[in-house]
This record gives sequence, C-alpha cells and structure tokens, in this order.
Amino acid sequence: MRRTVGTITFCALTAVSLVAENPDTRNKEFPYPIHQTVLENGLKVISIPFDSPSIISYYTVVRTGSRNEVEPGLSGFAHFFEHMMFRGTEKYSKDAYNEMLKSIGADNNAFTSDDLTAYHTLASAAALETIMDLESDRFMNLKYDEEAFKTEAGAILGEYNKNYSNPFQSIFEKLRESAYEGHTYKHTTMGFLKDIMDMPNQYQYSLKFFDRWYRPEHCALVVVGDVNHERLVGLARKYYASWKRGSYTLNVPLDPPQSKEKYVALPWKAQTLPILAIGYHGPAFSDSKIDMPAMDLLSQVLFSQTSDLFRKLVIEEQAVEFVQGGQTDSRDPGLFNIFTRIKDPKNIGMVRDEIYSAIERAKTTPVSAEKLAEIKSFMKYSFAMGLDNADAIARSVAHYVQLTGDPESVNRVYGLYDSVTPEDIMMVANKYFSANNRAVVLLTMEGDKQ
Amino acid sequence: MSKRAFFYISLLFALTTGFVGGGLHAKTPVRVTEIHSENSPIVTFRVIIRAGSINDIKGREGINALTALMIAQGGTKELRYQEVAAKLYPWAANVDVRPDKEITVFVGNVHRDHLEKFYKLFGDLLLNPRFDPDDFTRNKDLALSYLEKNLRGTDDENLGKDALIISMFANHPYGTAGATVQGLKSTTLEEVKDYYRKTYTTGNVWIGIAGGYPRSLVTRMEKDFSVLPESKFTPVALPQLEKIEGLEVDVVEKPARATAISLGHPLNITRKDKDFYALMVANSYFGEHRTFNGVLMNRLRGDRGLNYGDYSYIERFIGGVNSGSRFPDVNTPLRQQYFSIWLRPVQPENAHFAIRAAMYELSKFVAEGMTDEQFQQTRKFVSNYSKLWAQTLDRRLGYKMDSEFYGTDDYVDRIDKELKTLTLADVNTAIKKYIDPRNLKVAIVADNVQSLKEAILTNAPSPMTYASSVSERILAEDKVISVLPLGINKAKTRVIPVSMLFENESPGHTLHRKDDEGKK
Repeated sequence: MRRTVGTITFCALTAVSLVAENPDTRNKEFPYPIHQTVLENGLKVISIPFDSPSIISYYTVVRTGSRNEVEPGLSGFAHFFEHMMFRGTEKYSKDAYNEMLKSIGADNNAFTSDDLTAYHTLASAAALETIMDLESDRFMNLKYDEEAFKTEAGAILGEYNKNYSNPFQSIFEKLRESAYEGHTYKHTTMGFLKDIMDMPNQYQYSLKFFDRWYRPEHCALVVVGDVNHERLVGLARKYYASWKRGSYTLNVPLDPPQSKEKYVALPWKAQTLPILAIGYHGPAFSDSKIDMPAMDLLSQVLFSQTSDLFRKLVIEEQAVEFVQGGQTDSRDPGLFNIFTRIKDPKNIGMVRDEIYSAIERAKTTPVSAEKLAEIKSFMKYSFAMGLDNADAIARSVAHYVQLTGDPESVNRVYGLYDSVTPEDIMMVANKYFSANNRAVVLLTMEGDKQ
Repeated sequence: MSKRAFFYISLLFALTTGFVGGGLHAKTPVRVTEIHSENSPIVTFRVIIRAGSINDIKGREGINALTALMIAQGGTKELRYQEVAAKLYPWAANVDVRPDKEITVFVGNVHRDHLEKFYKLFGDLLLNPRFDPDDFTRNKDLALSYLEKNLRGTDDENLGKDALIISMFANHPYGTAGATVQGLKSTTLEEVKDYYRKTYTTGNVWIGIAGGYPRSLVTRMEKDFSVLPESKFTPVALPQLEKIEGLEVDVVEKPARATAISLGHPLNITRKDKDFYALMVANSYFGEHRTFNGVLMNRLRGDRGLNYGDYSYIERFIGGVNSGSRFPDVNTPLRQQYFSIWLRPVQPENAHFAIRAAMYELSKFVAEGMTDEQFQQTRKFVSNYSKLWAQTLDRRLGYKMDSEFYGTDDYVDRIDKELKTLTLADVNTAIKKYIDPRNLKVAIVADNVQSLKEAILTNAPSPMTYASSVSERILAEDKVISVLPLGINKAKTRVIPVSMLFENESPGHTLHRKDDEGKK
C-alpha cells in the first residue's frame, strides 16, 4: 500500500484513552490519536482507538525484512522466518496455537517486505489478553525442529511457484538484481531462487536469525479498534516484560551512485504482451526531507489518469494497456519504478521515448498551481477513504513504524506533503531521473518481433 | 494494477458537472437497498444490473462484460472518458465494475464532501453512457487481452479455476470465463448499444447505497433511474447439468513452472437453504480459505510442504487469488452453486500425488464426518469469524444485497442464527448428502502434460519424497495415497492446449467437439 496522505474529517472517535502521551489530533494530519508507551526492554506499545465496536486489529511489527539479509546465499530468510513463526512453542504447539485462534474466531496472518515483517490478528476485543499471551509466547519462545523447518521450506517454494506464472515476479527480480550492486534490495523479499532451493539446509542459520532480530527493541505492538491504552500497557508488561534485548548490529552496505544505464532483456515463454519496466534510484524515506513527498507528487504528475502521458498512450493512441510509476517508501534508497504493458511489440521504442520525454518535461516545466492542488486533494482523499476499518489503520501506522520506529512519522510526513512546491517536484525530477541512474527490463514473448 | 483487470476494473474519476435526467416514474419501481449511517464519511453505491454473462447473446459471448466496461470505462453523453477522469480526480472517488455470471455490479465510493457531484456523474455514466467508438476499441482490446494474455499466459491459478468452471458447467450458461475471444471479436458497438437498451431496464436495475448520505438522495435515485426502459425482471432459465461420472480430468497445457489444480462438482444448495449452514461448518473444518484450520491445509502444506495453500469452498469465491480479502466476496451470487477444492501450484513431479492426497482427505472426510469435538470447535470458530466479515459499510451493503438475491435473512445474522441450533448429526448428514468424492471434475494447468496424463490414466504409483525425515504417520499415509485409485473416467480425460480455452462460443461444448475431432 502506498500514499496514504492528507488531512481528513472522519467520524468522531468514541473511545477515550486514559493514558495519552499523544492524544491530541489538532493540527495533526492523521485523524486518530496515537498513544505510545515504550517498555523498559524497548518494546513499543502503540494503540489507536477507533470506532469498531468489539473488534481489534493487533499487529506485531518487526523492523526486519529482506533488507536485513546481508549474508550471501541467505536471501529470502526474513520471509521464511515469518512462516516459521507459526510452528509453535513448548507452551503452545503449532496445533495448540491454531486451536486457540480458532476458538476466538480470529483472522490471523503475516507478511514480509523489504523493511518489515508484520504479524496481524483481527478478532474480538474480548480476546485481547488471549492474543497477547499467544503472541508474546511465540516471539520469546519459538521452538521448532529441523524436520518442521525443512517441511516449511517446501511451502516457501510453493509460494514462489504460485507467483511464478505472473511475469511481474521475474521482472521485479531482474530489475532489482541489475539496479543494485551490494545492497540487500538487490533481491526481492522472496529471495533468489537458488537460495530458496537451499533453504532446507539452513536450519542453524534460522536459529541465529531469530536470536538476532526477534528482540523487543526491533518490535512494536500496534493495536487499533476497541482498545484502552492503559489496559493494553498493563497486559504488555505482564506478557512481554521478560523479553530480553539483543545485541546484534546490522551493517547494510550502501551502493555507490550508479554510473551508467543498465538493461536486461527478459524472454518469456507463455503468452504475454511486452512489459517495459524502468527503475530509477530514488531517495530513502524521510519524515523531515522533502525528497520523498516530492517524488510521490511527481509520480502523480507523470502517471495519474489525468497525466499527459496517460492521456496520450492509453486514451488517444491506445498504445499501452496501462502506464504507471511510483516509489515505495523504504529505509534505504529505493527504486522509483515505471511499468507499462504495450499492446504491439512494434511500439516498444515509441512508448519508451514518450516516457523519457515526459520525464524531461517534468524537469523544466513547473506544475501549475491548479494541478498541484488537484494532486494534493487526490492524495488527501485517497488517504481518508482508505482508513475505514481497524485493520487498514493498523497497517498504515505499521508502515511508518517500520520506516522510522516512530508512529508520529505519519503526521510529520503528511505535513510535508502540504508544503511540496512545483520547484520541489522539478528538483527531484532533475536529481534522480538521469539515464545513468536507471535500470531497464524489457519482457517480451519469445518470438515476438519488435 | 489488478491482475484481473477485466473483471474488476477500478477507475479514478472526477467530475464537477454531469446531469442525471429526472424522468417520469415507471410502472416497475426501481429496487433499492440501503444502509444509512449518519456518521460515516464515505458513501458507497452498489448498482446491480440483474444480468451477467448468462445473458450473453449466442455468438456474442462477452457482450455483457463489454457493455459494463463501456459504462464504467467510458464517458457520458456530455463528457469524454478523459474529461470525466480529469474532473473527478481530485476527489479520489472510484467507480468499479464487476460483470459476473448472474449479475453485473457497479460500485462507486466517494467521500461525502463530494457526494453531490459524484452522484451526478455516477448516475450519468449508467443512464447516459457515451458509447464512444474509441472507448469501444480500447475496452475490447482490454477484454481480449484479459483472455488471451492474462488468463492464457500469466495467471495459472485463475486459469485453473476458470477451466474447472468451464468443465463443470459444460453446456450451461455458467460455463464460460465471462466472455470468449471469438464472441468479443464479433461484437459491434451497435450491438452493445442495443444490449444496453434491452438490459439496463427498470426491472433489472437494483440500487444499493450505504453511508452518511442525505435521506432524500434515495428518493431522488429512484426517480432518476426510473427513466430507464420499463421491464420486469425475467431470470434466465438454467438447464439441468450433465452428470459427472468418476473423475473427469482436463489437463490444460501451457508453459508453466508449477502445476495448478482445482477440483469440484456442482452443488444444489445455496445460502437460502438450511443445510448450507451445516455444510458451511463442515467446509470450514475441511478447508477454510486462507487459514491454518482446514484439514487440507494441515495435511498437504503443514505436514508435507507440498505447496503454499489448500482450501475448499461450498460456493463461488472469486476473491481468493488476487483479492486482499480473506473473507467471502460480495455480489457474486449464483443460483446454482458448486463445491470446489483449490490446491495452489505444486512442483510438477508432485502433481499426481497432490491430487491423490486431496482425494484421500476428501474421501476420508465424507466417510468419517466430524467428531463432536471438531464440530463444537469449528461451529464456535465460524460463529465468531463471520462477525469479522462485515466491518465496512460497503461489505455490509454487499452482503445485504446478496441475502436479498438468495431470499434469506442478512447473511451474517443468518449464520449466527443457524449455527446456534445446528447439531453434529445435521453436519455429518449434510456432508454425505451433498459432497460426492467419487464424481468430480478436475482441472490441471501444467507443462509437459503427456506424462502426467499417462500417469493419471494408468493409475501409476506416485511416491512422495521429502527433504528431511517425516513422521511414521505421514509415511504410512503416503504409502496408501501414492497408489490410491482415483476412479478416472478415461473417456472424459483430455489434454487441452491453452489456446483452445476461451476461444469459441460455448467452451464446454466446443472442447468436447474438438476433443472428438482429435481422436479421429
């Protein structure tokens, strides 16, 4: 999910917090009060009351993702470990864990990305303590044998397989692999296939991974819905206080600036239209610098359905099915990715040149005040309409917690959006969008004539 | 970007002007379902047209979907498509369309700050569509590309599901993927306009609205939509289904790294029936979607690491692959439902074993039923879990309209009510009455299919190997599973090149004919 921006006037909050480190939403962009308490062991306990009677969304955010996979041959491990977290403890076996969740009728799952692993449960608010008992236990006392580990490796390969027929998985793999040199964003969250195939042999490393990263200082609880912060903190102390800090320090190698354009041709056996992917090295997320918000507005200038490029390529010339571009927030400098699916292989060059021309125009032509206001309005209302349930709100806050560790980043970055100027947009267009700074992947069906 | 762009097209529109013609009240009142919530800042519209792919004209399969696209991805009489998009963009309102089998639903979401302007546009798109020739070309390309490139090339899981439906509903109006290549190619803009005039009528339109809208809006909508041509809703008659004899296997051949598998048979039960709720508990125990509760998930993935997931369903569940939601989708109702099993892609060398493992578990499930403990646990789960399904007003509205479609109480309330009085005997009786593990359709999407077909036809052993040691229980089960006779109907087991799927006017029928030709 991306771009959840703006000030909104949502429905009145019904829950009142008793412990309110930061309950005041006046002059804040995020429409709900964010309560945060940090336990002595570094675990952040965050609650956001929201009018969802008797339902809570409970997230455990681990600020560990595929970015943390610094050792060669071990890509994909953060995601693999997400799977292992469902394999049980001495107190609650895998089956016992599932049975308890089943007894409360919970919806329970997890996901992993570059910078985080998030475990989420949607359930009755009455089940809060049961959830905290279960979750704290597995985060502190996970235990699995080598047999279970190897079996789960099969499920990981199954996940890779289920995604494989969609060419975007391979496009992302190639784009990252070519764009990055030593940084761990070189691989996708799934990991390199050769590393996935080798996962069954890495049981010992999995124990090390848990010891390094599943520590309170890397984690945050985000609870949204029918929740009282004081009670939540009391339960957090009861269930998580004995969790010990770790000591591992991560050193992710940053890439030097790219010096020349990179290009990968990707042939595809199954039926497909040509897909052109272009990735420009962009900024890291920051809630104090203007670059990332300006990039987000630039993506709207260039690729929204009201953009000149969309009008020309999709509507008037009907040369492509879609064209889109944007950058996902990331802790280290990420890629601003552009994708388009081209109807006729003969038009690949024309489409590519139109995209490059639109970028060049954005470097020198300031966006009009009217257009800028429209874009900011669009982003504001996109954000507002996305926050209509407890899970969506928790996910949005988890997004910012993974990036900075501070849920208040949500307010700071949204404040920045309001201040983006046409000059800021031209500045980032010039700063990041040069030929030497991009990687290009072109996927075509085997046998297509271009 | 949605991978199922054709069936769930999301648009971001903007508009400041737009006119919804107010007309005379028609004799057939426009049907309205509403959920008013004063404090909700978002207003959701769900306008259902009670026509779907079952209403497609012979030789023009896809005309219903194409018409829907021309409305949601076209302009109005006053505004071209791009003008609509430009004007509505600042409000981040969206218009989605999903043309399904029985119905077509247009969904509009808007913040109430912009309700008035949005409604004028939304209504105008439906009541005064532009039907621009350029939009027609673009939308037809999109629809064709969905069949020819997405389904045939880049989405094996949905390909497998659609192949199963085509096989299960051979010679039945449900037996298409919503369109065919030749049907779409043959359809003209004039035919779309004619279909619109005949189908978008007062008897077929059904308005749903939820959120913090002014109450007067409902009256206004009733009046505005009454300008549509007068008609009474007449459901398409559904024919008797062909009998399935044994396991009838379709192997769809295409380049593929892994093998996607779906199994199923039609089910003569829907949400309106009391037994549906008994079967719901049973199915949750056997294969609850995207959870670790189900027998299938635990035995195939949990014990054996065969794939990413294994689930079962007692009604259409199309949100499973690409939708973020793990809860039952809304506004995809069918009068004729089906039971299905979805095995997510497996390594090709394990495909035969995976089918056998699923059949082993299904046969055991039907033969043994559930224990009282399993029943009590699962009933409690479903009762609590279903309360999570309707968190947003949009979903509540969708479920409410579906309940009206089926002629039953609100779905989530009905689940609660039925489960309270349900007994173990009800559930075990329902399993045996409705689930038939001997007579099923199987759809497999695979590469290098001849060896798999040969292995299936000859009932060849399919031993399973593991990267590590596994328990004695699993090994003992594997011995049985690896030689399990599947009761394959050899005469109705076929290899189908992917290029044949979705091609002609009636895929189920055509495939039989093509296959016969192949034998000659």
